[in-house]
Amino acid sequence: MQVFFQTIVGGVSLGAIYALVALGFSLVYRTMGLVNFAHGNVVTVGAYLASTFYLSAKLPFAIAMVVAIGVTAVIGLVIERVLRPLENRDFDLMLIGTIGFGIVLDALVIMIWGATGRAVPSPVPAAPLSLFGLRIRTYDLVVLAIAAIATVLLVLFLSRTKRGTAMQAVAMDHEAATAVGIHVGRSNAIAFAIGAGLAALAGGLVGPLLYVNPALGGTLGIKGFAAAILGGFGSIPGAIVGGLAIGVLDSFAAGHFQGYSELVTFLVFTVIIMIRPTGVFGERTVNRA
Amino acid sequence: MRPRVRLSLGFLFLLAAGLWFLPYGLSSYAIHVANVIIVFAVLAVGLGLCMGVGGQVNLAQVAFFGVGAYATAILTTHAGLGFWLSAAIAVAATAATGLLVATPALRVQSHYLGIVTLGLALAFTNWVTNAQIAGGAEGISNIPVPTLPGVDLSSEYLYYYLELIIFALALAFGLFVVRTALGRRMRAMRDDALAAGALGADVPVLRMTAFLLASVYGGIGGVLYAGLIRYVAPESFSIANMFLLLAMVIIGGRQSLVGCVAGAVGLYLVRELLVDHPTFAQMGYGSVVVLVVVFAPTGLAGLPPRIRQAIARRRGRGRETAAQLAEFRPYPDLSEISLEGGDPLLSIDGITKQFRGLKALDDVSLSVPAGQIRGIVGPNGSGKTTLFNVVSGLYRPTAGRVRFAGADVTSRPPYRLSRAGMSRTFQNLRLFGDLTVRENILVALDRSRTLSSWRYLIAPLAIVRRDRDLRRRADEVLDRYGLTAFAALPPESLPYGTQRRVEIARAVACRPTLLLLDEPAAGLNGDEVRKLGEMVRSIRDTGVTVVLIEHNMGLVMNLCERITVLAGGKVIAEGTPAAVAATPAVIEAYLGDSMDLPSEVTS
Amino acid sequence: MARNRPLYALAVLALVLAGCSAPGSDKKSSGSTTGPIKIALVDAQSGQLSSLGAWELKGAKLAVSEWNAQGGINGRQIQLDVFDDQGDPTTGTNLARKIQSEGYLAMIGTAESAVTIAMAPTLKTAQIPNITSGQSPGLVAVGSEFLFLNGPTSTTYDETLAKYVVDQQGIKNIAMITNNGSYGKGEHDAFTKALAKRSVTPVADQVVTTDQKDFSAALTAIRQKSPKLIFLGAEEVESGLIVKQARDLGITAPFAGGAPQGTPVFLNTAGAQNVEGTIVSSPYLSNDISPASKKFADAYKAAYGEDAELHGAKAYDGAQIMLTALKNSNVATGKALADAIRATKYQGLLGDFAYDNTGVGIFATSIGKISNGKLVAATS
Repeated sequence: MQVFFQTIVGGVSLGAIYALVALGFSLVYRTMGLVNFAHGNVVTVGAYLASTFYLSAKLPFAIAMVVAIGVTAVIGLVIERVLRPLENRDFDLMLIGTIGFGIVLDALVIMIWGATGRAVPSPVPAAPLSLFGLRIRTYDLVVLAIAAIATVLLVLFLSRTKRGTAMQAVAMDHEAATAVGIHVGRSNAIAFAIGAGLAALAGGLVGPLLYVNPALGGTLGIKGFAAAILGGFGSIPGAIVGGLAIGVLDSFAAGHFQGYSELVTFLVFTVIIMIRPTGVFGERTVNRA
Repeated sequence: MRPRVRLSLGFLFLLAAGLWFLPYGLSSYAIHVANVIIVFAVLAVGLGLCMGVGGQVNLAQVAFFGVGAYATAILTTHAGLGFWLSAAIAVAATAATGLLVATPALRVQSHYLGIVTLGLALAFTNWVTNAQIAGGAEGISNIPVPTLPGVDLSSEYLYYYLELIIFALALAFGLFVVRTALGRRMRAMRDDALAAGALGADVPVLRMTAFLLASVYGGIGGVLYAGLIRYVAPESFSIANMFLLLAMVIIGGRQSLVGCVAGAVGLYLVRELLVDHPTFAQMGYGSVVVLVVVFAPTGLAGLPPRIRQAIARRRGRGRETAAQLAEFRPYPDLSEISLEGGDPLLSIDGITKQFRGLKALDDVSLSVPAGQIRGIVGPNGSGKTTLFNVVSGLYRPTAGRVRFAGADVTSRPPYRLSRAGMSRTFQNLRLFGDLTVRENILVALDRSRTLSSWRYLIAPLAIVRRDRDLRRRADEVLDRYGLTAFAALPPESLPYGTQRRVEIARAVACRPTLLLLDEPAAGLNGDEVRKLGEMVRSIRDTGVTVVLIEHNMGLVMNLCERITVLAGGKVIAEGTPAAVAATPAVIEAYLGDSMDLPSEVTS
Repeated sequence: MARNRPLYALAVLALVLAGCSAPGSDKKSSGSTTGPIKIALVDAQSGQLSSLGAWELKGAKLAVSEWNAQGGINGRQIQLDVFDDQGDPTTGTNLARKIQSEGYLAMIGTAESAVTIAMAPTLKTAQIPNITSGQSPGLVAVGSEFLFLNGPTSTTYDETLAKYVVDQQGIKNIAMITNNGSYGKGEHDAFTKALAKRSVTPVADQVVTTDQKDFSAALTAIRQKSPKLIFLGAEEVESGLIVKQARDLGITAPFAGGAPQGTPVFLNTAGAQNVEGTIVSSPYLSNDISPASKKFADAYKAAYGEDAELHGAKAYDGAQIMLTALKNSNVATGKALADAIRATKYQGLLGDFAYDNTGVGIFATSIGKISNGKLVAATS
């Protein structure tokens, strides 16, 4: 029983990270119909930036994170400009175009920071909590809280602000939104900047949990994408549920099937997608047939 | 035509000769690279068939490659089988894997299929990393050299010839598939799976076939790889290599197999040249991929036509060759069909269709006797197209039954309905954009089952003969509908009215007994509407029952023998045009919709 | 067109004739006796394993530049060229042919056993000696007289470890957690074997994947068995993550393992206080274990601005052995060079090298213990 709950705790902590990555995927997709396979590489960039500000510039972790999110969001604007021609293309082209872009980002990361990577010490030195024999890391709680706050802020932004509702409108109907005078281009740019910011948040948060190296974003990207699909591509609650589900699924697969965990995770994922092709919450997107 | 054929034959010959003599000028390193490139080229052709031609996103090609290589390795080293027997079993095993990977494609498409196939590829790598039989992370070494009497295949120079011959056969078979019925149908499915299904293409089988082809090519690639490197390890079948393969196909031009090969050769050579500057190579190769996607989405293969077009435009050609739409030649009148006689061909009984909260159709019943022209009218949103979609099998009704030609066909897939003799057009034109007008017709004329494609392997000549016959019949159809001048053009380049006519010709080419026309007159001018009326009447006179949705009341009043009026998802009136026009409920429905009164009859 | 027909016929004839005589058979590119001595370094410089490749390159480059600064060998400079195998065996086989056809005398690398195994047959045929950084017993199983290891095999690491842990410390309640990569698998098998020899069965045997990030399930299972010691078989970063998560889960038992657990990367990833007491079987315990290692570490720091670690040291030793053999043999090539390597006795950072017929030159590791964030020799 203890193993069971401890496995869930472990899965949820990484699941929160997957959820943040999935949120970025979904936000960009629902607003501009772009499946951005370079998103994982943006996570790597964010992780490097956050760790650089934290370790080299000696900023406090929270400030380092905020700065990293800001810088990555700006980078996101640049990326959006470059990828703009790919928006609303057919999936194959988008796939390969964004993968190509990811390869470029990967090379840039290696050029700037080198290939060897770095460890980031945990900014929360407190000892893990012990609850009925379960051990919960304080940093995990911080991650969960930040992920929850980020999600709430995002939802509030989308539903309560003028800019946010405009983006919702673009997500629902591209042409109608243009017709009522919403600047679709700007809306896309903001979506992308927020998506990149979320990636930086995920990368920055995961840094102290893992190890920052050029390969960091790769797995997070694939799992995050799977999470977004599982929850319903483009859906905000879907991204959260999908992220946590993939995290927990992964964790259990690792516990029961050891080395074969990846095989099991993806087989289960495939079966779920075949049973419910548009994910738990259904797809939300600008392209409709 | 003939000089060009000669020219390309000559070119082909020179190319073949060049490839044949290539090893004489290569060092042992270069020949090894050439051998690896051929393996990748085979894989790229397979991926091109599945993704480019069939439109099925396949990120598991590298796993097919792996299954082929690993199966060969395991069978030769563990089971002690001979290389060629192992190879045959390996290809069969890969084909089986291909069918397995294809099953998700029956349910999901596009990015969903992307992540699912990617996940399955990861699952494969994970499996071989763990499995004892696959040698774990260390892989399997000491795969025996394939034996061939009189040829020492341990020499990479001679192995090159083996690969070259297999590759040539594989490419030729691929091109053969693309240029004949099966490939045409796959391309149609890629362009518009819905329309392809409505024309009788059995989409599920076609999707399976696309993956089957990809996996067989993957298996062949894997066998060649195992014989060449004689060592397999999980890293060779990594996601990075999958993306490389994908880049080859996209850069080369996924819709052209020759382009895929060019992409494979080009990209691999570039990477090999830049091998001493890995980070720059990575950056350069990533940038090239982005640039190609943005500026040349058709890839290298798309460049020659674009250049040719550009030259033609500069020379001022193209303007003079605006093709003319010829007159429709009516069918010989075969009508001894008595109106209102016999059993109804189509009968709809209590159909209800619910979309989440909205009831689009509410207990709709109607029956159409054979030989009738039936009009279905109603205000926008009254459920007319929904009704068509239910009848033609695109939607599953919430309740009620559809009977067609004496059989209950409720919820049958569109392709089976098409085979049973139902054919339809679409409100917003669903022509296959990447096919020419002739090919659009050919897809409809082809009534064979995709399952019978096994004949591609054993009776290619019969396929060629059948294709020639289909082409002759397509030319007849084009001629009858006055479309001969447009035969080789893509539909998008045609005026709207002509596109409508192509769609009708295509629907009739299916040889239906029931023809469903969804707003055939939308966007047509008065003269075109008049011709449309004649056309529909002539089609009916060959014994085809016609049901049409139309807003053009003039056409409906003139053409239809009976009219059914829908409003708010319910049938509110049915009868002869005159009777319906006088029904108060109809007038009210139309006034409510602030539409013109249907009594405003003009011709 | 028709008048081209004789031309075609001629071409066909030529083709048929040509088809009879096989092309190929490289002229043997025996190394020239002037100009720089060309040595290839093949390692992943991009992709997942690029960090290993980067360390190796730094170590080997350091050795080569030291030799070049002293005038090279027989007045000839040494040219070390880098090739990126991307951690991919297929690319590795391409590179094997490439270094063959471009006349490289010898090869250093790779760090990935699978790539080295893939390259071995070609290098054997081409008679190019290769000093690899892999440590998998599978490398020995290849049985090529041109393949040498620049360190001990997993068997040595784990036998030494088992001897210390079981025989000397008397710990029998041992759990294992290893990954399924070639390194982890090798460690798993070697240590299980070493334990079996002492009739010890591990109380838990957990396998994880190489890119797993969350180990709570495996570690909780281990925690329930309350082992006295946990054997860890994974690369630096993953080992660090496992130890960090284990401590967070309240596991206090010390970890033990091979060389990766003695590296700064491991230490930094896990956090210094978490690795306290880790038992390491390594031929290179730390940068200040001997005067030679101090000198190496200083030079490394001066050249690259970062601390030296095991992989750099191994590659440095490998390169030194290669260069010494070249010098001793008067820049021999092929089999003669391989024999020269086999005959080389070298006192390196990792210990005293003396190669046997299997291509392994060093059969001893030392046991170290991490104490106060530093790896020091264990006193038993």
